[in-house]
Amino acid sequence: MAQPRFRPLRVTAYTVCTAAGIGRAATLTALDQRLSGLTRNDFGPSPLATWIGRVPGLEQCALPAQWAEWECRNNRLAWCGLVADDFADAVAAARERYGAERIAVVIGTSTASIGASEDAYRRLDPDGRYPADLRRPIVHTPHSLGDFVQHALALRGIALTVATACSSSAKVFGQAERLIRVGLADAAVVGGVDTLCGSTLFGFNSLELIASERCRPFDVARHGINIGEAAGFALLERGAEAGAWLLGYGESSDAHHMSAPHPEGVGARRAVQDALESAQLTPASIDYINLHGTASLKNDEVEARLVADLFPSRTFASSTKGWTGHTLGAAGIVEAAISLIALDNGLLPGTLNTEQLDPACGPQIRRENEQRRVQRALSFSFGFGGSNCVLALGRGDVG
Amino acid sequence: MSALQSVGERELAELIVTALNLEGVAPADIDPEAALFKTGLGLDSIDALELALEISKRYGFQLRSDDENNLRIFRSLRSLAAHIERNRTT
Amino acid sequence: MSALPRVAIEGVAFWHTRLPGWAVARAVICGEQDAPATSAPRPTPSLLAPTERRRAPDTVALALEVAARACEAANRPPAQLRSVFASTYGDLGISDYMCATLAGTPTLISPTKFHNSVHNAAAGYWTIGTSSHAPYTAISAYRYTFASAVLEAATQVACDGQPVVCVAFDVESTGPLGTVAPSRGLLGVALVLAPAHGESHRALTLRVEQGNAVDITAARSPAAPLVAENALAPCLPFFEVLAHSKPGNATLALSDHCLLHAQMS
Repeated sequence: MAQPRFRPLRVTAYTVCTAAGIGRAATLTALDQRLSGLTRNDFGPSPLATWIGRVPGLEQCALPAQWAEWECRNNRLAWCGLVADDFADAVAAARERYGAERIAVVIGTSTASIGASEDAYRRLDPDGRYPADLRRPIVHTPHSLGDFVQHALALRGIALTVATACSSSAKVFGQAERLIRVGLADAAVVGGVDTLCGSTLFGFNSLELIASERCRPFDVARHGINIGEAAGFALLERGAEAGAWLLGYGESSDAHHMSAPHPEGVGARRAVQDALESAQLTPASIDYINLHGTASLKNDEVEARLVADLFPSRTFASSTKGWTGHTLGAAGIVEAAISLIALDNGLLPGTLNTEQLDPACGPQIRRENEQRRVQRALSFSFGFGGSNCVLALGRGDVG
Repeated sequence: MSALQSVGERELAELIVTALNLEGVAPADIDPEAALFKTGLGLDSIDALELALEISKRYGFQLRSDDENNLRIFRSLRSLAAHIERNRTT
Repeated sequence: MSALPRVAIEGVAFWHTRLPGWAVARAVICGEQDAPATSAPRPTPSLLAPTERRRAPDTVALALEVAARACEAANRPPAQLRSVFASTYGDLGISDYMCATLAGTPTLISPTKFHNSVHNAAAGYWTIGTSSHAPYTAISAYRYTFASAVLEAATQVACDGQPVVCVAFDVESTGPLGTVAPSRGLLGVALVLAPAHGESHRALTLRVEQGNAVDITAARSPAAPLVAENALAPCLPFFEVLAHSKPGNATLALSDHCLLHAQMS
């Protein structure tokens, strides 16, 4: 039997919450006015000297009482994302159209709620057990997030959590597209949520990947990443009549090293080429690329060469991690959302905080913003463990 | 130079084998003059970070990854043991 | 209700501390022999280069063992296969280590343990060990993890017409985390699924339907009490059908309101 062919899907609703802003309008303002969301690290009992992308006020927004079983920072931020931009309402309307069992939930994360376990270990009871307020098993598993989102949206179909480090919430687009393509779902809620926690801050610190100052992607003087937290969601539908487009995607593995990218970007190049092919686009037809651009020495070097090799000079490419920090498991959805904001508003964000571009950069990588109507964008996510995912997004007519 | 390990070199060899889980390598068999990285024992950058961590825990001083002398310090068991001897606080 | 096209099950692998290998597991499930009396030591991930092999935690050793055995059984070179890796809890030993170290001396986190702590560590080591540029995913769905993994793998086969190796595993919990994330022993399973051509392999047809957890197939074989305390135990009814050479069905829970019906020829 012939396989069903990939067809573009509509993105009929989306939202993003980061340190730079809650919701699309606030994010657009921050991008337009070059207002970084990064702040000096004040997270946790003994904060590392670095900068972070912290979403303000999460400590004050407990989940509604009906979701108390899922209470933790990560699910609070998820809730924050679900109510932003009336996203949950858009899903409710889709639920009426398709049925609760026909909307899949495919959500990415790297942290899930590990922060809650970290907290528990600092407050163990005299028997060495978790304190009573944290004895909620659903929180202490990676699917804490996917399970919460499914319940919060009253959905009853397929639900799973994807955890492939920094590519997690880009890969969810592809996994959801395939579920829709084979008829297991008619629509899907995709997205990702990661929150600040000791594991990522001190973990990346042990690998000497954390910058002591604001991160500067592609800067000749860059010296590491800033960790950020974020939530983002998108509603994908087949056959809707309005919205932006998921035009295609490409996925690959580097097969090189757990914590360093392939030096020639072999996997990344393949993912770019597969994304273009699935979207039936050429490099010349790409107006904007949201780069992975973490400000780590190695990622940016490999990525800069890849962009210079594959794309013409007119392609506008930038990293937006100077606004949000590296949101790890949420980076895919955050940067897809920023790409959609760029397409929707004709605003191409440059690369914030960066002062002098590394000589490895070609003419494509930009520091300053630009106003220009654009139609086709790519978003790059290259993760730990060599997992690469590139999304092709668009607005307007699809040929 | 002697191919036999000093007491300090033996202790460091045991730390390396344990910290990096070097299967099938007996600490006593590590040639003190042989390369630790790339060739010889074939350690990589993650191993360097792991070793720096274990050394700081055992000997009470920080090995800095931006020390311009690192290539020399980390070259061999002997050079690393000598550096520890000069800097240890425990 | 919706169904996927039939896929072929080209290779099966199974590894549990008391059932170390599919041959043993199958024989115990079918009542042909008793389980070995003693626990087997964790498998050695022989396809990893020495540098990766010495760093591999239990989850990686286990996952790579079953992935490799399934590919061998399917006679498929691993490098060409897309892969789905799945675990309810990931590496519980490392999670315990991370939380304990963060509570005491956070600046002394082991870089090796941190880079092994990501949920996709096994998948990463697999692609490195097999030099595979094929994409992988790493998923989790709590007690529905195995069912979700099989469905994801079969979906990929249906979309791309290419074989996929599906790997699921859970290990033993340690420390305080074990009181909220309980799991005993090591349990890993793997399947190579491919487009169904002809009758040379058992075929698997998956259907998704709304339904209740009361309707899932219970594990009934002598293997059931052995694996019951591992977090991946919900996979066993599927393997109990596979162990017998006649057609059979197993119903697994896919989410709180959703069932996965697996029909095997």
